[in-house]
Amino acid sequence: MASNQITVTGSLATSSRTDGSTPTGRTAVVRPVRRPRNLRRTFELTLLIGPALLLFTCFVLVPIVVAVRYSLYNWSGYGPLSDFIGLHNYRVALDDPVFRGAILHNFIFAALSIVFQLPLSLGTAMLLNRRLRGQRIFRLVTFAPYVVSEATTAVIWSLMLQPGGFIDVLMKDIGLGGLIQTWLANIHLVLYTLFVVITWKYIGFGIILFLAGLQGVPLELKEAAALDGATATQSARHVTIPLLGPTIRIWVFLAVIGSLQLFDLVWIMTYGGPANASTTMVTYLIYNGFQSTEFGYGSAAAVILFILCFMFALIYQRFALRRDTAGALTSMVG
Amino acid sequence: MQRFRKPTRLVVSGLTFLTLVAAGTSTASAAANHSALKAPDATVTLTWWNNATSGDLLTVFNNAAKAFHAANPGVVINNVPIQNEVLQNTKIPLALEGNNPPDIFQQWGGGREGTEVTSGKLMDMTAASASWIKSEVGAVASGWAVKGKQYGIPYDLHVVGFWYRKDLFAKAGITSTPTTMTELNSDVAKLKAANIAPVAVGSKDRWPDAFWWEYFALRECSLATLKTAMSTINLNYPCFVKAGQDLTTFIKTNPFNTGYLATPAQTGAGSSAGLVANGQAAMELQGDWDPGVMQPLTTNKNILNEIGFFPFPAVTGGAGNPTEVLGGGDGFSCSTQSTMYCPEFLKYIDSTPVQIQIAGANVGLPVNAAAASAVKVPAAKDAISFYKNAAYLQTYFDVAFPVNVGNAIDSAIANFFAGAGTPQSIIQAVAQAAKTA
Amino acid sequence: MAVTIQAPAPRAVPVPKHPRWSLGTPFSYMAAIVVGGITLVPILYVVVSGFRTPAQINTSPVAWPRPWVFTNYSSILSSSMFWHYVGNSLFIAVVATALTATTGSLAAFALARYSFKGRDALFALFMVGLLFPAGVAALPLYLWLKDLGLLENLMGVALPEAAFSLPYTIFILRPFLRAVPGELEDAAVVDGASRLRFFRTVLIPLSMPALTTVSILTFITSWNAYLLPLLVFNEPVHYTLPLGTASFQSTYSQNTAAILAFAALSMVPALAFFVLAERRIVGSLTGAVKG
Repeated sequence: MASNQITVTGSLATSSRTDGSTPTGRTAVVRPVRRPRNLRRTFELTLLIGPALLLFTCFVLVPIVVAVRYSLYNWSGYGPLSDFIGLHNYRVALDDPVFRGAILHNFIFAALSIVFQLPLSLGTAMLLNRRLRGQRIFRLVTFAPYVVSEATTAVIWSLMLQPGGFIDVLMKDIGLGGLIQTWLANIHLVLYTLFVVITWKYIGFGIILFLAGLQGVPLELKEAAALDGATATQSARHVTIPLLGPTIRIWVFLAVIGSLQLFDLVWIMTYGGPANASTTMVTYLIYNGFQSTEFGYGSAAAVILFILCFMFALIYQRFALRRDTAGALTSMVG
Repeated sequence: MQRFRKPTRLVVSGLTFLTLVAAGTSTASAAANHSALKAPDATVTLTWWNNATSGDLLTVFNNAAKAFHAANPGVVINNVPIQNEVLQNTKIPLALEGNNPPDIFQQWGGGREGTEVTSGKLMDMTAASASWIKSEVGAVASGWAVKGKQYGIPYDLHVVGFWYRKDLFAKAGITSTPTTMTELNSDVAKLKAANIAPVAVGSKDRWPDAFWWEYFALRECSLATLKTAMSTINLNYPCFVKAGQDLTTFIKTNPFNTGYLATPAQTGAGSSAGLVANGQAAMELQGDWDPGVMQPLTTNKNILNEIGFFPFPAVTGGAGNPTEVLGGGDGFSCSTQSTMYCPEFLKYIDSTPVQIQIAGANVGLPVNAAAASAVKVPAAKDAISFYKNAAYLQTYFDVAFPVNVGNAIDSAIANFFAGAGTPQSIIQAVAQAAKTA
Repeated sequence: MAVTIQAPAPRAVPVPKHPRWSLGTPFSYMAAIVVGGITLVPILYVVVSGFRTPAQINTSPVAWPRPWVFTNYSSILSSSMFWHYVGNSLFIAVVATALTATTGSLAAFALARYSFKGRDALFALFMVGLLFPAGVAALPLYLWLKDLGLLENLMGVALPEAAFSLPYTIFILRPFLRAVPGELEDAAVVDGASRLRFFRTVLIPLSMPALTTVSILTFITSWNAYLLPLLVFNEPVHYTLPLGTASFQSTYSQNTAAILAFAALSMVPALAFFVLAERRIVGSLTGAVKG
């Protein structure tokens, strides 16, 4: 790997402002003439952001606002919106122990993701980042579960987890027969069984995200560290992982939001049961809201979910993401 | 194929009929005489949403659509089968909330239908069906009437009872089917002794659990209490608490298949139907569709002859009549925008020739009594005779009640099966949901 | 796709060939095999089960086909409905991905490298879309699509899917677009290029890994989407693959083998797209030496 080479561009990582400092070598430039620039800038910005904003407002924001409106009514979905009940739906939802349990389950998933999936994805990505033979095949294989639809995943794993199914047979074969449980029927285990399936499905997502991020970790740094006598693990801990900071923070954000919005897999595998042991906020609002012709109630539960996500996003943005995105780069536009 | 007999009475044109129906006035029923099948001016296409996505019933429905078109060349029936849960939970509600419901769609009756009627998009077929509904359908049509008006018309009936493996019962030394709970309990013990899982239940889907509690309720409650409770959506009577206690006692005898809390009802060989079909469980409490569901889940070609039927046993000290039956059925509704051909098509579906085919499809019992003999599955024949002698037919609660109450009670009973909740919690769940019904 | 430029001057001090890292390599292989195995086995299960009959599956859920049955796969591949599904899914996924990639990268560029009032608020607005479960917006979205006349229309699915993919696209792209050093931009401007030209000719190529990543994610999300197509399409000829799978499953409900074959075939195009695209993630950044 010590081939002679010249990097054409600086790598991404060395320039990312993880410490929030201003880039070296740049001085503040005072622009005396502002007005014509402003117009041009506005035009540019409109051109850049306009299409996305239009698409987004039209198909995401408008339905959301309408759904919020529904939450203030007692509405079966049929006929006009006539029974205004204000915040009553919200009170009922927050009083419901099943909904509170669902919130807890979502947060358990989020915590488990960070504790287990993060090291697993990160470690695997770092391992696969080497020059291994067949590494493209490995990448394809680890990503394949992400490609499989949630419905198919649920069908496969339900088949494998049923009493006497593949998992039980495998455990018997390797001598762990005594540890066999009814994976999906046991109210204490079902949440963790689901977590295993979710991990299987989404580990590929983490791996490609971290692989993309790892491309920005320059080889010279690792070589320099090796020259200084660092072991592979030390190099990983003190060089690679800090430089992967922004990517890790993105992953955590998406993983937590994904955990909070978990639906398809749980719905098909367990329907939220048994006895609401695996209910998530979205399975709750689909069952108790939309499937029960209680659109107002379902929308209210959804808004509560939204508020929880929003609070997390705000706090996260404030403390974790702020330093990744402070300041501006394109100072030419002021 | 049967030609339609055209009445010689004065005919109100289809257009006027439509206008009157759309006006929604009750005088419509008086003014709109029975529609002869006057050919439409332009071809009329009726979209037909039903849940017959597979098997014999799909063939029957395709043939019915074709035959109706052949008899009425100006009318085309477009058969669109949709998977049952998707149809019931997503497609139909969405269509009724928008402005473009299908012309003919699946209707399960009861409180569910009551909720749909509030959309104002269901056609009142009282007048259109008055001439034939008693002869072709009979008293069960009342299950599809809302406030006395016929907004839906059934085409098949369902009865819930025990479907059991005669060979496995024999293997365990059970010589006759149980008629009391005591006998059922001892049969369960015999099956366990013979190392056979006594009862399969699709607890994951929740509604199979509900059958158990509801039958206990039927056995414990007097008919008067039952009727009052259902019409007022209030289960706060001691007999319902007793039902919960009976169920607890039964569950404590450990009669179910391993991992029953995660067992689905009908999908795949690991479902409760599949377990019985493959001899891994001896019986299950299900609707009469069960033999038809079991058939493709096993390679045993003789399965339909190996299944037997027995009704839910009597409960000692219960105030209910042991011949009372829990059941339901399938039907269709017409949208207000469909034409008069819609109720005419439903009349055709309920006519004897089509009913005979439906009976032969093993998915349910025909509503038309004339077709009863066409049921071939031996166990289903037993179900029919039991149903004929029933003192009362109670629609399963999650259809009899409005949708949100139905979902709440299914959920509460399923929790109960998993050991969470008390007999009171089932009653409370209904009370809570009834507030916003 | 690595670009290396041979520098003429050799290093003065010979660099050790990562002696400490050679210990890790067998460990890497082992870990890769374990992880690969765990992820692969269930998928293999689906593919292989497609070659069995339901009777085989019911009697022994986990076993090799005995005999190998090809009719499941062949009958699906020869049915025109299957190719309708594939075509619909492909059209929608490509349109949604293209839309998201272009509008999203433009917006992310503005949000990353410009500084203007309301920038953070705008970014937060986009993030709002991430925080609301799509299923809840289903009814209002359905009614809105109906008013727009987009029901039974492939665009009626592609457009909302693109819109819902914008939040995480912008979220992922923004830091990558930010991280390209300002010096490059200054240099480009000095050379007379406009910012947009800089965006097109320098920034996009440099952000290829991230751009490819979000494209893959959007494509696959669209490919596997179920709820939105369910609401928009009633005519089977408009169905996408997940709808087709569900419809197939319901029609042939007990034919587990055929259903698994169908599911296996549904994965192929998305996997193919990934195979084609993933080279870009690792190969396009100059200066990196990769196999």
